Amino acid sequence: MADPLFPVLPVPHGPVRWGAMTCAQSPLAEIVSLGAFSGVGRDELVKRIHEAFGVILPDQPRAVASADGGCSFLWSGPSQWLAVAEEGAGLLSRLREVCGDVCALTSQSDSRSIMKLSGPGVREAMSRLVPIDLHPTVFGKDHVASTLAGHIPVIMWQTDDAPTYLFFVFRSFAASLFHDVSVALSGFSSSEMDICV
Amino acid sequence: MRLTCPSCGSRGLEEFTYRGDASVRRPAADGSEQAWVDYVYLRDNPCGRHQELWYHGAGCRSWLVVTRDTRTHEVFDVRNARDVILTERQTDAGEGEAS
Repeated sequence: MADPLFPVLPVPHGPVRWGAMTCAQSPLAEIVSLGAFSGVGRDELVKRIHEAFGVILPDQPRAVASADGGCSFLWSGPSQWLAVAEEGAGLLSRLREVCGDVCALTSQSDSRSIMKLSGPGVREAMSRLVPIDLHPTVFGKDHVASTLAGHIPVIMWQTDDAPTYLFFVFRSFAASLFHDVSVALSGFSSSEMDICV
Repeated sequence: MRLTCPSCGSRGLEEFTYRGDASVRRPAADGSEQAWVDYVYLRDNPCGRHQELWYHGAGCRSWLVVTRDTRTHEVFDVRNARDVILTERQTDAGEGEAS
């Protein structure tokens, strides 16, 4: 007999703690991808965003915040960015007014969920999961990387030096990523945990 | 083996997909039958330096032209395929004007 389907949260509702390290699902956010049209699209897009949001779109894997702090722009590929704001910020309609004619705007709010990891030791734990160098001299605050966590495609963003990482993951992979993160975090022995804390 | 993506920096091979020889070029639509057979079916299997197309699917989703030694896996150069082809077209256009 077929199993009935019930809605189940892919990750625990509240934050999960290992020592001083915390893993929590971030509140829903508005996410919009910007892909500049070819030709003058890129230059025009950078100019318009600068005028409207007071910030220069980065041309390397970094994140920048708008002048009013209301939203952030993450580099996500050559001439491509992700704009992120709180839910209900009306980001898509604002971007459509500002730059809808020079770039492709696509709402990604329903495509990705955001997992937040923070606390001392998270860097070491995440080094077990992502194949990039997370040393503070290489990957610091507001650095962004599109990469694989385990085998799961993620966009990771270090938002402060605590360190805190945000993982943007496709919604259907959230449960798998949470499992992999749990294994990476719980792999610390208590003595290692003491060192991290 | 690691590749240094021009956008993302040094990344492991698991983020990339190999596509094939980057030096083949599509013949003109009215090119000879032999030129089309070469383009579609025939590939060299070079021992040594080779230009290859790689796709950074798990990263910035760029197409890259990698110059690599097939014997030692030494990577000499990684460039955006878009830049490579634009440079080539400019060179071709320049030669066209000169002649």
